[in-house]
Amino acid sequence: MSEFLGYERDDGSIGIRNHTVIVSTAPYANDTVKRAADIVDDAVPITHPLGRCQTKPDVFQTYRTLLGYATHPNTYGAVVVAHAGEIVDGDELAGDVAETGRPSASINIHEEKGVMNALDATVDAAREMVQDASAQRRVPADMSNLTFGINCATSDTTSGLCQHKATAGAVWRLIDEHGGRGCFAETPEFFGGETELSERAVNDEVRQEILDRVGNWDKRLQATGYDVRGAQPTPDNMDGGLTTIEEKSLGALVKSGDGPIQDIVDYGAKIPDQSGMYIMDTPGHGAESVTGIGAGGAHFMVISTGQGHTLSNAVMPTLKITGNPHSAERVPEQTDVDVSEALVGDETIEWATDELWDEVIDIVNGKVTLSEAMGESQFAIHRIGPST
Amino acid sequence: MADRYLEVVEPEDNVATALRDVEAGETVTVAVGDQERTIEMLDDVNFGHKLAIEDIADGETITKYGKSIGNATEDIPAGTFVHVHNVESNYGRGDLAGDEEVEAVSE
Repeated sequence: MSEFLGYERDDGSIGIRNHTVIVSTAPYANDTVKRAADIVDDAVPITHPLGRCQTKPDVFQTYRTLLGYATHPNTYGAVVVAHAGEIVDGDELAGDVAETGRPSASINIHEEKGVMNALDATVDAAREMVQDASAQRRVPADMSNLTFGINCATSDTTSGLCQHKATAGAVWRLIDEHGGRGCFAETPEFFGGETELSERAVNDEVRQEILDRVGNWDKRLQATGYDVRGAQPTPDNMDGGLTTIEEKSLGALVKSGDGPIQDIVDYGAKIPDQSGMYIMDTPGHGAESVTGIGAGGAHFMVISTGQGHTLSNAVMPTLKITGNPHSAERVPEQTDVDVSEALVGDETIEWATDELWDEVIDIVNGKVTLSEAMGESQFAIHRIGPST
Repeated sequence: MADRYLEVVEPEDNVATALRDVEAGETVTVAVGDQERTIEMLDDVNFGHKLAIEDIADGETITKYGKSIGNATEDIPAGTFVHVHNVESNYGRGDLAGDEEVEAVSE
């Protein structure tokens, strides 16, 4: 069986959820977006502090990330809310959404003559989309359509020894047996393993690109004038036994397995349609990295955690796997899959992979993750440089 | 018989990861590739943390996954707790910027 039940989109993509998103283009539209999403059941608010007073590279990155959510496979339609004439243009964003065949609406607080009118218009547009989305039915679709996102969170020394191996097993099962895609990220967490990682590239160009991007992160971090140890490993990583960024990295890379790497894409850029494993160039900061992979169009994400984590995303369902028996006890309502029996019990990594795979299959077919059931979500676009 | 709760990832590693709490004074046996090694514990090492499985000199490479995870900042005898107090990273060292040493070290 290599089919799942998903939502068909006009642009050819298949979603595993059918969200109406309300996207803010600037901080001054955030409150209107949050209030509208409070009123309209099932609408997902996308708010952030960016979208103005940014230099070009950051504007592109912000726009690309917001568009990624507004046109995500799991997105039915999008209401864009702008404050005034900011550098991230609301009408342009709504227009780009409409080009994918999705319902879209553009609301501008200044043009509506105030936040109350804008709220009214946003609620109207979102309510209509939510109702239309609810009438759409799931249909059988080939599993080759699926993109599997991978991130680690609050890593510890169990990560590279257990749960990352199960995660690698599951993502390569989707790629090798079903023709799907995988995407992992967190470039500064390649430090110490970048040479071996780059040798997995499908060609010399991708190999050099991986090394260049790792080198750029090292330079960016050095340019701060501080030792990276001030930020990595994080205090929770160190509590879990990780000593240096290199140790964290070598463990982190285990979650990507050992198969070929097709390409490395920019933060928030669309993950290519061809089957295989991709890298997205993101920081190790989990909320920023996961936000980027979601913008790239991953349908779901496995967050492989050492010490347990609340990291999640409202549009791209996230499920947490841990092999640390203490973590499964520490945050039970955040632990979708506990495979600690493979670390300290009698089970094998193959068993752990099967446990994760079975949960993934349920979730792509509509079962909600723990974080979806709890209504938890974080959204953080990575910024390249200072605001102006 | 080797303790399955003391995991050495690659035979060339000089540290093991404790998957149970280990106490100073214990005699432990670790599997290193096909070999077994017996070590007198000098420190307590908690679940998830590392211990030296051989004598490591000040400045020497700490090896896990068969790769460098940093350098020893003091002599680390076998059986010692290995962590941030006696190991330093070689990456992102902005604190050394301007020195020749700042060049990133890779394997």
